[in-house]
Amino acid sequence: MTGELAVSAQGLVKYFGDRRVVDGVDIAVPKGLVYGVLGPNGAGKTTTLRMLLGIIEPDGGERSMLGRAHPRDASDLVGYLPEERGLYPNMKCREAIAFMGALRGLPWKIGRKRADALLDNAGLGHAKDEKIRKLSKGMAQLVQLLGSVVHEPQLLVLDEPFSGLDPVNQEKLEKLIRAERDRGATILFSTHVMAHAERLCDRLSIIAGGKVRFEGTVNDARATLPMKAHYTPHHNVEGAASLLPADAVREGDGWRFTLPASGIEALLVKLIDGGYGVSGLSIERPGLHDAFVKIVGEDALKDQAQDQEQAA
Amino acid sequence: MSNFARTLRQALTVARRDFTATVFTPTFLLFLLAPVLMIGFGTVGGLGAKSIVGDDSQMKMVVIAPAEQAEVLLKTDKQLRKIFPPKSELMPPPLTIAAPDGDPAAQARAFFDSDKFDASAVLFGPLDKPEVLYARRGWTEAQFLTQLAEQTLRAQKLGSAEPVSTVTQTAVKRGQGSPGGRGQAASIGVFAIFFLTLFLSGQAVGTMAEERSNKVIEILAAAVPLESVFFGKLIGMFGAAVLFVLFWATVIINATKLLPPEVIGNFPSLVAVIGAPTYALLFIAYFTMSYMLLGAMFLSIGALTSTQRELQMLSLPITIFQMVMFGLALGAATRTGTWFTLAVEIFPFSSPLAMIGLAGSSPLIWPHLLALAWQALWVAIIITIGARVFRRGVLKSGSPKRKSRLRSAGEKALEAAA
Repeated sequence: MTGELAVSAQGLVKYFGDRRVVDGVDIAVPKGLVYGVLGPNGAGKTTTLRMLLGIIEPDGGERSMLGRAHPRDASDLVGYLPEERGLYPNMKCREAIAFMGALRGLPWKIGRKRADALLDNAGLGHAKDEKIRKLSKGMAQLVQLLGSVVHEPQLLVLDEPFSGLDPVNQEKLEKLIRAERDRGATILFSTHVMAHAERLCDRLSIIAGGKVRFEGTVNDARATLPMKAHYTPHHNVEGAASLLPADAVREGDGWRFTLPASGIEALLVKLIDGGYGVSGLSIERPGLHDAFVKIVGEDALKDQAQDQEQAA
Repeated sequence: MSNFARTLRQALTVARRDFTATVFTPTFLLFLLAPVLMIGFGTVGGLGAKSIVGDDSQMKMVVIAPAEQAEVLLKTDKQLRKIFPPKSELMPPPLTIAAPDGDPAAQARAFFDSDKFDASAVLFGPLDKPEVLYARRGWTEAQFLTQLAEQTLRAQKLGSAEPVSTVTQTAVKRGQGSPGGRGQAASIGVFAIFFLTLFLSGQAVGTMAEERSNKVIEILAAAVPLESVFFGKLIGMFGAAVLFVLFWATVIINATKLLPPEVIGNFPSLVAVIGAPTYALLFIAYFTMSYMLLGAMFLSIGALTSTQRELQMLSLPITIFQMVMFGLALGAATRTGTWFTLAVEIFPFSSPLAMIGLAGSSPLIWPHLLALAWQALWVAIIITIGARVFRRGVLKSGSPKRKSRLRSAGEKALEAAA
C-alpha cells in the first residue's frame, strides 16, 4: 500500500483479565480515505479503536496516529464518536458542540459559531438553545457527531456510528461522512452493518476473534467469493442440470451455480446446442455481506478446530 | 503549544464546564445558603436544649441570716459581683436574704424544694462557720456564697463594705510574641481552614459520577489526558468553593460593621508573629492547598465508585479523616519544636493545617515556601495516581496478571513449535 498513513498499528494486543481480546492486530489507514473496521459483536473492534486513540494502552504492539508516536499528541487533530454515546444532559446543543471543540483546542467563540452552522446544515437549527435532555436519542446522537467534527479534524474515528439511528438520520450521517472525506479528512469507522460499509468504505479490515481476517477494498472482499449465475432454461428444466456445474441448485424456474472459471460462454453454447435454450441468465457478484459471512465463518470454524485440537 | 500549556488549557476547559454546571443551578443556591440553615437549626436546637436544661432566670442564691446582717451582705454581694463582666453568663444568680426560722438546716433544704424559684446554693449558720448547700451545677454559686460570708465578716470588722483601695484599670494589647497571642492565631487559622475544607472539599468526591453515568468520560478520555480531567474538575470545584467563601466573607465583614464597637472590642485580635498581611496570604495559600490535597484524594476515590450508594458510604470516612487531620494539626500547634509537630507538618494531608499553625507562632518565611512546594507536589502525585488507577480500573486499561501473560506466551511458543 502506498501513500501516507493516518493511522498505523502493528501487532496490537490487549488482555481483559486472562482473555486476549485483541490478538496481534495490524492496521494501516491511508490518509484521505474512508476506512471501515468490520466485525461481529465482540470481535475486538471497539477495543482496537480505543487503543488507537490512546484511551487505553495496549499490552503489546505499536501504533501511531497522524505521524505521532503516541495518539495523545495528535488528539487535537482527531474527532471521536464513541460507541456508548454521552453528553451532559443539562448543556445546550450549541454549548455541547463548542465544549467538544474546546477540548480539542478550538476557541469557544469559534466553536459556538461553527456549532450554529453545523446545526443549521444538519436540520437542527431550531435546537441550538435546547438542552440535550430535551432531544430525542437520534438528535442527541447527531449533536454528538457534530461535536466530533466541529474542530475540523484530520482524522475522524466513529465507533458504530449508525447504531440507534433511523434511516433518515443514517442517510444524514452518510452524507456527513462523505463531506468530511471531501474536506480531506480520513475517516475510520467500525460497524457490523455491511450495507453502510459497502457504500462508504474505500478500504476495510474484517476483525473476528481479536484478529484481522481480511484487509483490502470492498471489491477485494467480494472477490474472496466466486460469482454466481442464475440460469433459466427455455425447455426441460430438469434435464439442463446434466450440463451444469455440480454445485447447481434449483431456484424457482431455473438453476443457481458458481460461475465456472472458464466463463459462461462455453457453457451457454453447450446448453443451447443441447436444446435447452435460454429463457433468462443473470450473473451475480457476491455482496460484502456474503464475503463477511464467509471470512468470519471460515475463521470461526478454524478457531473451533484449533480449540478442539488443543483440547485433544 | 508546549505540553504544559496544552494540559493547562485542557484542564481549564474541563474546569469551566464544571464550574458553570455547578454554579448556575438552583442547588448551588441551596449550598450557598446552607450555613444559614445550619445556624438556624443550631439556634432552634440551642433554645430547645436550654428549655430542657432549665431557665436560668428562675435561679436564686439564698443566705439565711438575721435582718441586721442583710444590709452588709447585700453591699458585699454588690462588690463581689464587680469581678464578673456585666450581663455575662458567668454572673451568679440574684441573692435573696431569708430570716432564720426554726432549724436553719431544715429551712435551707426546704429552699431546694421551692416551687417559686430554683435555689442553686443556700448559706446558713454563723458567718464565721457557715454551711453551704448547693444543687447540681451550683458549685460556682457555692464558692461565691463562701466568699460572700468571708468578705461580709471582714466588712463587719472594718465597719464598712466599701472598697478601701482606688484602682485604675487600663486595657492594653498583648505583644505579638506572647504565647497566648501566638496560640490564638495558630488555633484560629487551623480551625478556619479545617472548617472550610470540611464544608467544601467533600464535594469533590462525587464529581466524576456525572461523567460516568452520562458516558461522557469516553469523550473526555479520548480528547484530554485523564490527569487534565481530574485537575480540571478539581479547579472547577475549587472555583465554586472560592465563590462560597467570598460570599460568606463579604456577608460577615459587612455584618461586623453593623455591630456596636463594644461588641467588636470583645472579639479576639489576631496577633500572628509573621505579620497580618503575610498571614492572610498564607491562609489563602494553605486553604487552597488543603482543598486541593483533600479534594484530589476524594475525587480519586469517588471516581472509582460505581453507584450512588458507594459514594454516600464514603462521606463518613471522609469526615473522620478530616477530623483526624484537624486533631493532629491542633496538637502540633501547641507543641512547637517537637518531632510530632514536624511529622504533622510533613504529612501532606495535615501539612496545610499544621503550617498555618506555624505561621501564627513563627516569623520564618522559608518553611512556608518549602511546605507549599511540597504540598503542590503531592497534589500532582495524587492526581497522577488517581488518574492511573481510574484508567486501569474503570477504563479497563490495565494489563493482565504477569502469571497469565507468561502462560499465554508459553502457549504461543508451543503453538509456534508445533
